[in-house]
Amino acid sequence: MSAERSNWRGYFFVAPATAYLLVFSLLPMAVAAWLSLHRWHLLRAEHPFVGLDNYAAALADPFFRTAFWNTLVFAGASVPLGMGFALAVALLVDQRLRGIGVFRTLFYVPAVSSGVAISMVWIWIFMPQDGLINSALRLAGFAGDTDFLGDTRFALAALVLMSMWGGLGPRMVIFLAGLQSVPPSLYEAAEIDGAGPWQRFRHITLPMLVPTTFFVLVTSTIAAFQLFTQVYVMTQGGPRRATDVVVYHIYKEAWHKFYLGSASAQSYLLFAALLVVSLIQFRLMRRQLKEAAEAWQ
Amino acid sequence: MRCSRYGRLVSVGVAALLAATAIVLLWPRLAGPGGSAGADSVIVLRVANWGGPAVDPSFMKIEHEVLAEFERRHPGVTVRVENIPGRGQYVPKLLMTYVAGNPPDVMTLDASSAAVFIDNGLLADLMPTIRGDPAFRLDDFFPNVVDIARQGDRLYAIPSDFTPMVIVYNKRVFDEARRPYPRPGWTRSEFLETAQALTVRSPRRPAPLRYGFNFQKEMPLWFPWIWAGGSDVLSPDGRHAVGYLDAPATVETIGFLADLVRTHRVAPSLSESAAAGVDLFRTGRAAMTMTGHWSLIEYRVDKMDIGVAAVPTSGGGRVTVMYEAGLAISAASPHKEAAWEYIKYRVSTEVQKKVLASGLAISANKGVARSFAGDPVEDAFLEEVPYARRPWGSRVERYELVEDLGREMMEDILTGGVPARDAAARTARLIEAELERQ
Repeated sequence: MSAERSNWRGYFFVAPATAYLLVFSLLPMAVAAWLSLHRWHLLRAEHPFVGLDNYAAALADPFFRTAFWNTLVFAGASVPLGMGFALAVALLVDQRLRGIGVFRTLFYVPAVSSGVAISMVWIWIFMPQDGLINSALRLAGFAGDTDFLGDTRFALAALVLMSMWGGLGPRMVIFLAGLQSVPPSLYEAAEIDGAGPWQRFRHITLPMLVPTTFFVLVTSTIAAFQLFTQVYVMTQGGPRRATDVVVYHIYKEAWHKFYLGSASAQSYLLFAALLVVSLIQFRLMRRQLKEAAEAWQ
Repeated sequence: MRCSRYGRLVSVGVAALLAATAIVLLWPRLAGPGGSAGADSVIVLRVANWGGPAVDPSFMKIEHEVLAEFERRHPGVTVRVENIPGRGQYVPKLLMTYVAGNPPDVMTLDASSAAVFIDNGLLADLMPTIRGDPAFRLDDFFPNVVDIARQGDRLYAIPSDFTPMVIVYNKRVFDEARRPYPRPGWTRSEFLETAQALTVRSPRRPAPLRYGFNFQKEMPLWFPWIWAGGSDVLSPDGRHAVGYLDAPATVETIGFLADLVRTHRVAPSLSESAAAGVDLFRTGRAAMTMTGHWSLIEYRVDKMDIGVAAVPTSGGGRVTVMYEAGLAISAASPHKEAAWEYIKYRVSTEVQKKVLASGLAISANKGVARSFAGDPVEDAFLEEVPYARRPWGSRVERYELVEDLGREMMEDILTGGVPARDAAARTARLIEAELERQ
């Protein structure tokens, strides 16, 4: 078989993925960039070029800024809490116990459930009167009539709580893989030196998990910035825009108001924000990643 | 060598899979507009609607019978109903079918969002068809309901059914409290007095055991109070909110409604409503509510003894808003004749009697509506028809955004503690900006 034919076959195999990427990612991105420079209302015949006006309008729009702030608060709370929760669960299921596979599967179940179905279940959990949380609060002697999703003080926090559970599966699996790849000899050596469980966790587990943590951090941050399904199903951005997040705001702008140009500009602003946040994360973690790489060697 | 043969096999497999996918995706286009090859003589009439009470098997059974009868009478025409369920999803998804160049032939036109379809030229003018069809009489329908889809001398939909918004009250609660039922033309102060008398408080609980009125924050459910108060949310041409939503008379009405919750405590707070999780009126925890004819389905199931009263007046005279469903033909439909036959059939006396026996709405066909007369509740609804005005959404393209902002305004007042005047002024400016937006 000639090298040329072999190349041809290689291209053939990557063709579907490349075509998918071109058609469903790169082409829409290019079209969105072009749309963002036009006043493009879906039902109007005229689509005049407006330069960066859509970007300026989005930045000046108080509702867009509210949505951006809500997104930052959500990401700022849900990412560290979600990661901490996932690491704790990963440590728990990283045990040699009978039937541990069952527990791992149970914790992974939310990842294979539909986002809409999960949201519906959580609506019931958060129900003011007969919801699980309020019923538990009543048993504990509290009033137990809090409208978690209808109260501006609790609505976003309720979504954070739900996302900790909803995002648990993949994060836990990745942390578990990271934990299981730490050489047992390091723990044995530390134990011989008299290190306790906390010292072993602090000085071996955490440093060795840096690459894993970094991966989970970046992917969780991106997921947090793209929060949509839960808001769409559970709160529709309310009450009083307390849960209006950027992607939901963009959805409303595009598919309820039909301003595709403006919605595209807002999408690019979200993209820029995510890029900046990811770069900051890369920069902050660079030293730890380097140390971890050296430790692994 | 084995590896090479295996690779070839996989290549052929992948190619076959891609070809099969392409054929499946392109099949509808290859097969032509009829949907399947060799079915050229069959017209597939696509009808879009928002679903109706699909959970009710008896209603769906009637629907199936009605459609089967139409197809039996019109050989060669097959009706394909395309339901677009989901709160707030009907208009955007339906509009997408127009933008994509694949609209339905017939659509149910919601009066609350009719303007966006009419103003953008998406619907066919039915007047030429009506003039050319001696079998159809527009006079058979309530004239103010017909006018919802009228623009100048053009008509874009035939009304099917509708409801004026009214105050529904629980007669048993009135009887227990020894209060007279609301008289026609009752005033806002009489309403407040009644609501106070019907509210039952307990010294041991901060929330009343029963509320006089079930106030709800959604704008269609409180908007008629503004008309009855002698003002409006928009200017007569529908282009301005500043000077209207924030006008003293409008602010007074908004303040009155907010005070039912905040000051007089005769209506539940938003969190109390949410906490209940159910319709407080239906469960007997509220004596009065504002709603439309559609609620009668549930009230009848519950065997509630109810009465119907007009929206209390305060300077605006006896007036309310009506919400309506009409049937329209897409301007781009290739099957306009079949579509017209379908619309005539749906609004005919025979079909309307069958479908509206469920209690869903009042028939726009005067004869059918009056055939249900004799029942005091139906009579009370019919009495309101002459006082019912078309909703703003039938005239202003972006009125759904106005309703969204109106709901947020109520949330600002009731949960944010914002004074009614400030909230109305801010909301008027926001609406103005939306209406001005190009």
